[in-house]
Amino acid sequence: MNPTYVRIELTRQFRDVGNLMFTVFMPVLMYLLFGNMFGGGGESAGNGNVKFYIMASMAAYGAAVATTSIAGTAATESLLGWGRQIALTPMKPAGFVGAKVCVSLIIAAFSAGAVFALGAMTGAQADDWRIWTASYLMAVFGASIFALYGMGVGMSFKSETAIGVASGGMVFFAFFGNVFLPLSGTMLDIARFTPMYGYVGLVRWPLLQGSGTGADAPTDSIGLLIANLVAWALLFVILALWAVRRSQARR
Amino acid sequence: MDIISPQRIEPAATPSAQRLALKLEKVRKSFHTNQGPLEAVAGIDLSVGTGEIVAFLGPNGAGKTTTIDMMLGLTAPTSGTITVFGKSPRAAVEAGEVSAVLQTGGLLRDLTVRETVTAIAALHGAQDRIATVMERTDIMSLAKRKVSKCSGGEQQRLKFALALLPDPRLLILDEPTAGMDVAARHGFWETMRQDALEGRTVIFATHYLEEAQDFAERTVLIGKGKVLADGPTAKLRSMTGGRVVSATLPIGSPTAVAISALEQLDQVSSVRLKGQRIQVTGPDSDAAARMLLGQLAATDLEITAPTLDAAFMELTGENS
Repeated sequence: MNPTYVRIELTRQFRDVGNLMFTVFMPVLMYLLFGNMFGGGGESAGNGNVKFYIMASMAAYGAAVATTSIAGTAATESLLGWGRQIALTPMKPAGFVGAKVCVSLIIAAFSAGAVFALGAMTGAQADDWRIWTASYLMAVFGASIFALYGMGVGMSFKSETAIGVASGGMVFFAFFGNVFLPLSGTMLDIARFTPMYGYVGLVRWPLLQGSGTGADAPTDSIGLLIANLVAWALLFVILALWAVRRSQARR
Repeated sequence: MDIISPQRIEPAATPSAQRLALKLEKVRKSFHTNQGPLEAVAGIDLSVGTGEIVAFLGPNGAGKTTTIDMMLGLTAPTSGTITVFGKSPRAAVEAGEVSAVLQTGGLLRDLTVRETVTAIAALHGAQDRIATVMERTDIMSLAKRKVSKCSGGEQQRLKFALALLPDPRLLILDEPTAGMDVAARHGFWETMRQDALEGRTVIFATHYLEEAQDFAERTVLIGKGKVLADGPTAKLRSMTGGRVVSATLPIGSPTAVAISALEQLDQVSSVRLKGQRIQVTGPDSDAAARMLLGQLAATDLEITAPTLDAAFMELTGENS
């Protein structure tokens, strides 16, 4: 991977204020909103408090939206002919994808970092600094599967609106993935099969270690959460590969 | 006339004697479309020696861009082989020996000119050439401008700068002046001329006959995915049926006599009459003009160079 290329790409992404609104400001805003909706969020939850729970959820959402939208731009860029320009340099397609994923993870780290920083300032608490670290790292690196999703959707729809479609889908996945609001009953049963469920569950794992937010909330084993994440990662890999092959064949 | 033969009329240079820059052997490429298979390139053989400047002339849909894509390793041929300096196209690209200005797109609109050059230079490991290349293509003054704010001609110069970064021995230009106004087009070719003096091999696709005429010693005429003619550009010009001389005959003069007199001239291939307007086609426009203005007392004389369309009709035998 080429550091100069990644640096220029990163500057470019940070100039895109419209996109930053979605990937950084919105999760921050939603943390402030949801964090204060349930009576201050100071109640304890697992190894910390409810504020930490909401902070971890919103950081996960922000990181996943960031990787989705930025990896999605790889698809539209190649439609605009930048891919052809890159193909005239020694960089291989894998290098291009690698650079893109790297940039998307840096933005994801920035987005999740902003939510965590705000959380730390506004009363999110956990019993151990290791809970903070583990939760943050899981949010950033777990978000990489959504980079594959963004790339796959972007390549499939072949238009500028593709990123919008992919990011819009994330709101739906987040809602049905138990990210925004704790779901229960049939909704929760469905949620267990949606792509963000395993990811966000693992981001909250250091805090909750499987228990729900309330006393009667259902519990999940770490195995189920990992199985969800791995299954969706595989599906997104297949989607991305299929979309890339399809776009090459048509050229 | 025997000009329809796709063989080389007369070699512009002798590539076999020099080192070969590019060799295409029986190259074919077909695509699967909704309407069934489409053969974009239907068997092209071509050799280009180092230092040659070759024009790829043909109308839209002739297979020029597909052929160029294969020379650059952007698409693989369905059959046949392509070598660039004895290597595969992709290996030549990786070695920085071949580079190109592609026809459409290829730039990120929200990067500045300098950022674009720096990013591509980094991928080539050619950071030391950034200043040279930007000065050469006259984009230094645009360095801080966003690509989206650059005119078509400026974007084309930027793409030219990117192509020069690896210091390629073979430079391929796909319709480099498409969408430029006359002044920008002249400016572009002026830059190209200076560059050509450095002894690069240049292949450029165009559908402007004038560009081939002004710039290339050798022209390869492409139509329907095949090489229709390949030879010195000057030769091609005469092959295309020469210039058209048209003039208005004085009212009342016997047109039949005028037609037969013009047809008697050497090298006149056709004479057509529409009302009082007479059209003479042939390589020797001077003799026809002299006769029209003198002996026949015609007025409103016009001499036009052959258009590419005319050349194609002539070469493909699709006379209307």
